[in-house]
Amino acid sequence: MSLIRDPSLAAEGERKIRWVAEWMPVLNRVRDRLRADGTVTGRRLAVILPVEPKTAYLAAVLAEAGAEVSVAFQGVMVHDDVAAGLAGRGVEVFAQAGSTREQELTFFEEVLARRPEVVIDDRADVIRLAHTTHPEVLESLIGASEETTSGVVQLRAMEADGTLKVPCIAANDARCKYLFDNRYGTGQSSVNAVLDRTNLLAADKDAVVVGYGWVGKGIAARLRGLAARVTVCEVEPFAALEAYHDGFDVAPLAEACRTADLVISGTGVRATIGADALEALPDGALLANAGAVDDEIDVEWLRGHAAETRLARDHVEEFVLHDGRSLYLVGAGVVVNLSAAEGHPAEIMDLTFSVQALSAAYLMQHGRELAAKVHTLPAEIDEDIARMKLDALGVRMDTLTAAQEAFLRAWEAFA
Amino acid sequence: MAVADAAARSNIADASLADEGDRRIDWAARHSPVLTTLARERLADGALQGRKVAVVVHLEAKTAYLALLLAEAGADVVAAGSNARSTQDAVCAALVRRGLEVHARHGVSPDEFTADLLAVADTGPELVIDDGAELTRRILEFRPDLAPRLQGVTEETTTGVARLRAFEAEGKLTFPAVAANNARCKHMFDNPYGTGQTSLTAILRLTNMSAAGKRFCVIGYGWVGQGLARRAAGYGGRVTVVEVDPVQALRALMDGHRVAALDEALADADYVITATGGTDSLPSAAFAHLKDKVVLANAGHQDREIDVAALGPGDEVRPGVTQHDLGGGKRAYLCVGGSLVNIAGGDGNPVEIMDLSFSVQALSVHHLAAGKVPPGLHAFPAELDAEIARTKLATLGVAL
Repeated sequence: MSLIRDPSLAAEGERKIRWVAEWMPVLNRVRDRLRADGTVTGRRLAVILPVEPKTAYLAAVLAEAGAEVSVAFQGVMVHDDVAAGLAGRGVEVFAQAGSTREQELTFFEEVLARRPEVVIDDRADVIRLAHTTHPEVLESLIGASEETTSGVVQLRAMEADGTLKVPCIAANDARCKYLFDNRYGTGQSSVNAVLDRTNLLAADKDAVVVGYGWVGKGIAARLRGLAARVTVCEVEPFAALEAYHDGFDVAPLAEACRTADLVISGTGVRATIGADALEALPDGALLANAGAVDDEIDVEWLRGHAAETRLARDHVEEFVLHDGRSLYLVGAGVVVNLSAAEGHPAEIMDLTFSVQALSAAYLMQHGRELAAKVHTLPAEIDEDIARMKLDALGVRMDTLTAAQEAFLRAWEAFA
Repeated sequence: MAVADAAARSNIADASLADEGDRRIDWAARHSPVLTTLARERLADGALQGRKVAVVVHLEAKTAYLALLLAEAGADVVAAGSNARSTQDAVCAALVRRGLEVHARHGVSPDEFTADLLAVADTGPELVIDDGAELTRRILEFRPDLAPRLQGVTEETTTGVARLRAFEAEGKLTFPAVAANNARCKHMFDNPYGTGQTSLTAILRLTNMSAAGKRFCVIGYGWVGQGLARRAAGYGGRVTVVEVDPVQALRALMDGHRVAALDEALADADYVITATGGTDSLPSAAFAHLKDKVVLANAGHQDREIDVAALGPGDEVRPGVTQHDLGGGKRAYLCVGGSLVNIAGGDGNPVEIMDLSFSVQALSVHHLAAGKVPPGLHAFPAELDAEIARTKLATLGVAL
């Protein structure tokens, strides 16, 4: 029995889910395959992900493949209509927009009470509960597949101190995830969210991209594509050198901020944009966070130094500082493509969630043979997903000839 | 009370939305330094004092700010939208509360839209800031007796300039008109950078779809098409341009895009965007070449670039996106009913771009108000154009 806000919203939620389903051809193939081979049929699965159309479709696909699926998440990223639509598809949903901390604990406990065999987890929330307050869950738990970088960091810490009791797959480390999701998905949707929400032009802007990991690379590329002049800030010398060779200006943050019209953070580090940077920014600068950590921009500093705050536009907060400058924060400092827009494009999540679905299936099949450590998705499964995507796109490629393969093996020819 | 009178004469959807409209106008004002500077330095000389000025441009925050600055300069401003789908009711409400007469409601029928424009015509404007010549052509057609009152029309779009040129050829242009669209500060920025960026972001937001690797078919390689193609490539898309002008086609090729005939270009297109400014850019005869699940959008002036009627009725699959059956199991997804996608499906051109375009309009109407321009279609004075560019560069801190 689901615990959702309003079942009457199911039709609108269903419409949203159906739209993304059109753009997730690989996930559809994965469903057909799982349904045919019975890997997840009758198996208990928990999906802990933001309840929006694309994640909902992942849960729905696993249910259609025969699994008993339950879903829970914190209220900040729950669309009540999608929750209702998903419940209408035979998935048990425990999620409501704006839920309290107590309610959320109840939701997670509902999921744990179903004794999931495999968990698709976010920030290792359920895995940590199972290892602390709900050890009984571990008896039937085969393993977990973790979506986020920060969750993987926690799981590795658990592995290091010997607490981790089940194998976990770092879905984020699959190539079909990090090569596309973080760069093309976050890059496009974050830049788009900022421009849409502000109705401002990219082409006359000095933009600063903080962090040149996959997210920063994607954002810098898209801003350049829209003709902004981009400066990259880094702390890691290889990334800084890479940004330089990609043709970007590289400069220290506080210096780059002096002439910045727009600053986007994508580091995954708390207080990346702190007092020095915020003090250096000119009047009117825009700030947005595209990284996974909510506090990459020091919003507390902004509040502490503001004489006045007001909503300048939907999702754009103006901080009128005591020194007379106004700084504008897009998307409340929370990951901007989700807080001020609809998140990643559906086609990108097609790859990410195919990784998750096949990761869950792999754990169902082989989890009992795996050590209680953090694993990566087997390379052949990762590659299989890439091939399915290429096939769905109608893109063909080459294969090595027997002679070429032989050449590559014959290293001694050059010895 | 002038404000009460203007409010009584106005025809808007919902006066209670004024606070939201104010908020949007304030944002536009904040990012319009050129218009603000020029209004202060140039419009305040009394030339517009008491003059009846009609502003008939997409009625959203940036247009509203232009209308307000003209009113501040003493003009008696009456405003209407140039397309019912782009009219923002909140902005209309804010304008009325600030004392302007407004005849515009979002989403009204073509007949009601025309009625609103005729209501503006009936106020007897002396000076018109027009978009697509929507007001001017209606005055000439339906209110010819009011045409002699016209002392100047300044036109915002390529399409409108073409219409004015046609009127001139027919001998109907008995008043001075300025092709504001042809000002360098307008067409070199508004069409490529403004429409290019915002049409792309609107399509991607409306669909929540990815651009990277996708094939974009851009129909028309004028200023708008050039901007669309450049921005689509900037989003990681692969662009095919369709043109009828061999020089423009060659230019597209040299810019690095694929150039192909319409049939061929449609065959592998994931997105088709029209930008010809003409009609039937994507005709029903070409539908057979579209592939399943293609996204269709129009970035040109009018609603008639895509043959929407031939697409038949659609089901709304997301807000602003309708699904149409192409036959043979193929579907097309149409953005905002084939209306201008960046305006009907978003907030229109970026504020900074309209800051330039509307600076041209403000100086153009001021120029016409002096009464020294003879009848006929004229270019925007080059020295005013240069002054706008210099002012913009100064606000960016760029020295020459």
